[in-house]
Amino acid sequence: MTVDAIMAAAQRVQAAGPSSPRLARDPVTGPAIRTWADAMGDANPIYTDPEFAARSVHGGLVAPPAMVQVWTMPGLAAPVGGRPVEAVGGAPPQAGGGAGDDPLGVMTAALDEAGFTSVVATNCDQAYARYLRPGEQLAVRAVLLDVRGPKRTALGEGWFVTTRSTWYSGAEAVATMDFRVLKFRPPDASGAGPAAVAAPVSGAGPAALVGAASLAGPAARPGTTAEPVLRPPASPDTEFFWAGTRIGELRIQRCGGCGALRHPPGPACPSCGGAGLPGSGGVGEAEYQVAAGTGTVYSYVVHRHPPVPGKQLPIVIALVELTEGVRMLGELTGIDPADVTIGMPVRVRFRRVDDDLVLPEWRPDRPDLLPEFVVRVTPTVVVATALATRDFYPVHHDRDFAQRGGAKDIFLNILTTTGLVQRYVTDWAGPDAVVRAISVRLGVPCYAGDTLTFAGTAAETADGERLVAVTGACSLGDHVTGTVRLAPPQREHRGGQEGSSARGTGAAGRPAEQRSTP
Amino acid sequence: MTSPVAAIAGIGATEFSKDSGRSELRLAVEACRAALDDAGLAPADVDGMVTFSMDANAEIAVARELGAGELTFFGLVGYGGGAACATVQHAAMAVATGAASVVLCYRALNERSGRRFGQVAAGALAGATSSAIDSGWHYPMGLATPAATVAMVARRYMHVFGATSADFGAVAVADRRHAATNPAAWFYQRPITLAEHQESRWICEPLRLLDCCQETDGAVAVLVTSLDRARSLKRVPVVISAAAQGSGANQYTMTSYYLDDLTGLPELGVVARRLWPQAGLRPGDIRTAVLYDHFTPYVLMQLEELGFCGRGEARHFIADGAIELGGALPLNPHGGQLGEGYLHGMNGIAEAVRQVRGTAVNQVPGDGPVLVTAGTGVPTSALILGADS
Repeated sequence: MTVDAIMAAAQRVQAAGPSSPRLARDPVTGPAIRTWADAMGDANPIYTDPEFAARSVHGGLVAPPAMVQVWTMPGLAAPVGGRPVEAVGGAPPQAGGGAGDDPLGVMTAALDEAGFTSVVATNCDQAYARYLRPGEQLAVRAVLLDVRGPKRTALGEGWFVTTRSTWYSGAEAVATMDFRVLKFRPPDASGAGPAAVAAPVSGAGPAALVGAASLAGPAARPGTTAEPVLRPPASPDTEFFWAGTRIGELRIQRCGGCGALRHPPGPACPSCGGAGLPGSGGVGEAEYQVAAGTGTVYSYVVHRHPPVPGKQLPIVIALVELTEGVRMLGELTGIDPADVTIGMPVRVRFRRVDDDLVLPEWRPDRPDLLPEFVVRVTPTVVVATALATRDFYPVHHDRDFAQRGGAKDIFLNILTTTGLVQRYVTDWAGPDAVVRAISVRLGVPCYAGDTLTFAGTAAETADGERLVAVTGACSLGDHVTGTVRLAPPQREHRGGQEGSSARGTGAAGRPAEQRSTP
Repeated sequence: MTSPVAAIAGIGATEFSKDSGRSELRLAVEACRAALDDAGLAPADVDGMVTFSMDANAEIAVARELGAGELTFFGLVGYGGGAACATVQHAAMAVATGAASVVLCYRALNERSGRRFGQVAAGALAGATSSAIDSGWHYPMGLATPAATVAMVARRYMHVFGATSADFGAVAVADRRHAATNPAAWFYQRPITLAEHQESRWICEPLRLLDCCQETDGAVAVLVTSLDRARSLKRVPVVISAAAQGSGANQYTMTSYYLDDLTGLPELGVVARRLWPQAGLRPGDIRTAVLYDHFTPYVLMQLEELGFCGRGEARHFIADGAIELGGALPLNPHGGQLGEGYLHGMNGIAEAVRQVRGTAVNQVPGDGPVLVTAGTGVPTSALILGADS
C-alpha cells in the first residue's frame, strides 16, 4: 500500500465522521473506583469517603477523572466494540456500531496492510467537563483527527495516528481524549524484537492495548553520556546511607553514644569514640536519622569540562548544608546554572540509576515545585493497576508474554501512568482540587522492578487555573512528561500553592511500595 | 629556630614537554643523573630515595637503573602534589638521623601523554580503600576532577570575601609573565593579559582554563645531603632552614568540605605554624615564594594561610603587580605550574634552589630566604630554603 492509499483511507475515515457510540459495560461504580484507588495508592477521600465527599467541593462521592477511559474498556471477555446503543450524544443510531467503524481500528488495519505493523502510544490528552458520579452510564464515540507520515522515528519509519474520543453521559459530553499512536514498520521484518511488544490495536480500548514501549530506545537516560555513572564503592560503613536512598530516605549517621550527627559517615564516632554502624550491636553504636531532605546551598560549581561518566554537561554540583547541620554533596538539578546562588533553599530528590544505586540530588525548594514522589513499580503494582484499569493485555501481567515480544518485563500501562500523574498532583493540591485536564506524553517504558520518580512545577494561568508540569522518570529515562490542569480554587484550600502542607493527604493506606520523599 | 643540618646539593630535570616519547622510569633516571651531575656526585654515593606514592617508578627501579647500589633509606609520601616538599623533608630527616647520607627525591610523570590528572579517573573508586570510599561521596555526584574540587572552595571564598575571577587571573598573568622569559618553560615567550584570562573558557565555574595548571611530561630530582657534606660538593649548599608537613582536622583529599570554614587551607595552616618558628623567620623576611599553583585560587589562600596577609585580603595583597617580578613579593619566578610546567611541585623546589644560589633566569635580587609550598587541598608540606651562612 502506498502513501497515497494510506492517505485515501484516512480521508475515507474522516469523511465518515464519528464512530457509532459504544456503551460502557457497567455504570460508574463505587467498587471499581475503590479497586482503582487502592491499586494507584490514591487515598483521596472524595472517591471513597462519603462523609468527606459530602463536605467537599463535589458535595458527594465522585470518580477519579483519570478513570474516564476505564469505564468503556472492553473487559476480558467482552466482544470488541461493546454493545450497540440506541442513541448517544444526540447521534442517530448506527447499524453495526462498534469496532467496524472505529477510526483507529480502521487506520490500524490500513497501516498493518502497508507493513507498519507495530504500534506504541505516544500522547494522551484528556479533558474533563465535570467529575462523574456513581451510577452514571457512559458511552464513547471517536473521530479521526489526523494521520501523518511517513516519519522517521527512533523506532523506525512510521505514521502518527491521532483520534479523539468523546464520552457521553446520556446526551452530555463529559470528557474527551486525544490519543496518538505511532504505527511503525518493525526494524526486524521477522517480527521479533520490539514489534511484538506492541499490541494489536483494536477499536475497543486503544490506549489500554498499546504498551508504552520505548521511543527513546534502551539507551541510558536521554542526554547522558554512554558511560554509566560512577558508583560509590561498597562498604559496610556506608551501606546504610545507600540503602536509604534506595527507598527514598536521606540518612545521616547519628552516634548512638553522644548523638552527634555526621556526614560523610564512618565506622566510628570522632566526637565520643563510639564505634559501630546500625545493626552491629556494639555499645554506643552509631545509628542514623532520616534527614528532612531540606537545606541550603553552601557552595556550588558549574562543571563544564571534561566529560563525566553518566552526566550531560554542564551540571551544577552543590555542597548543601542540611537543615540538620551536616553538609552533603550532590548534583543540583532543575535550575539554570546562572540562577544558582549560595544560600538558596534546596530539597533532596532521588535519582535512580539502577536497582542498586540511587543518588541523592538536589533541586530548588520553592512553593511552585512539588515535592518528589517515588513509586516502586513492583510486579504487584503493574498487575494490580492494569487490572484496575480493566486492561487485560498480557504485556501488563504476563512476563513470559512480554519477554517473548522483546520487553524486559511486564510494564505499566498508559491508563496507570495517567492515573499516577493525577494522584501525584492531587496529593499535592489537596482533595478539593478539581482536575480539568491531564495530558501525558510517553517516553521509555517503566518495567516491573523499576522506580518511577515524579517531579512537578506549578504555575498559575491568567484565569486562575493552575497548570502543573509533571515528569515521571525511571531508570531508562523519562517515562512520562505531562501537564495537569486544575480549576481555580473554589474555597479555602488545605495546601495548594501556599505550600506542600496537603501533600500527605493521600498517605494513609498507600501500598508499601509507594512513598513520598521526606 | 633549629639549626639546619641538611641541604640541597643538586637539582636535575628533563625537558618539560607534552609528549616526552620516553618511559616515566627513563625520565626519572635522567632527572636523577642530572641532579647527581649538578652536585658532583656519582650514583654509588646515593643510599636513600624518596618519591611520591603516586609516582609510577619504585625507588628500587630507579636505583637499579642509576646503578646506585645499596639503599639504606627509601620511602613514599602520599597525597599527590602535597608530597613535593615532604620528599625533601623526609630526606632531611633521614640525613639528620644518619639513616642515609645522600638521598634523591624525584618525581617523573608523563602527565600529558599518559595519564592526565585533569580527566575523570574512575579508578579512584576502585577497591575497598578509605580513599575510594571518600571518593564515593563526590565522584558519583559528578564532582570528579581536581579543578572541580577546587572550584567548590573557590566559590565559597569568593562569596565570603568578595574575590573575583579577575583576582584569580592576576596569578595566571604573573605566572605567564615569568614563564615568558624562562627558556625551560612550556609557555616561554607566551605571556597572557588579564583580558585573555577573562576570555578563556570555563572549565568548572568559577575556574577558567587559564586558572588551571598545565599538563606536562617530564621529571625533576632534588639531591639532599648533610650541610657539612654539601659544603664539600660542587655547588654552594642550599640550606633547608625549615621543612614541615601538615594535615588538617577532618582532612580529606581535595574535598575537606565538611569543616566549619571553607575559605582556607587548614593543612597549610598546620604547616605554617611549624615552618616559621623552625626557621626563626616571618613572612616579611621572604624574598620570593614558589607557591604551588595547580589552580589560581589556592595561591591566594596560601598567602593568607602563610601569614603574608590577613584572611580574605590576598586579593588586595596581589593587586598592582605585587606578585610579579619587581613587585613586593614576586611569586613563582620560573612561571610556576601554569607557566613552566606541572611537575607535581618538584620544579618549584628546583626553582627555589636556583633562587637561593642566585642562578635563576628570573633572579629575584637580595639574599633573603625562599619559601616553597606543595600541593594544597590535600595533606601538604613546605620548605624554607636559605643560603649557607
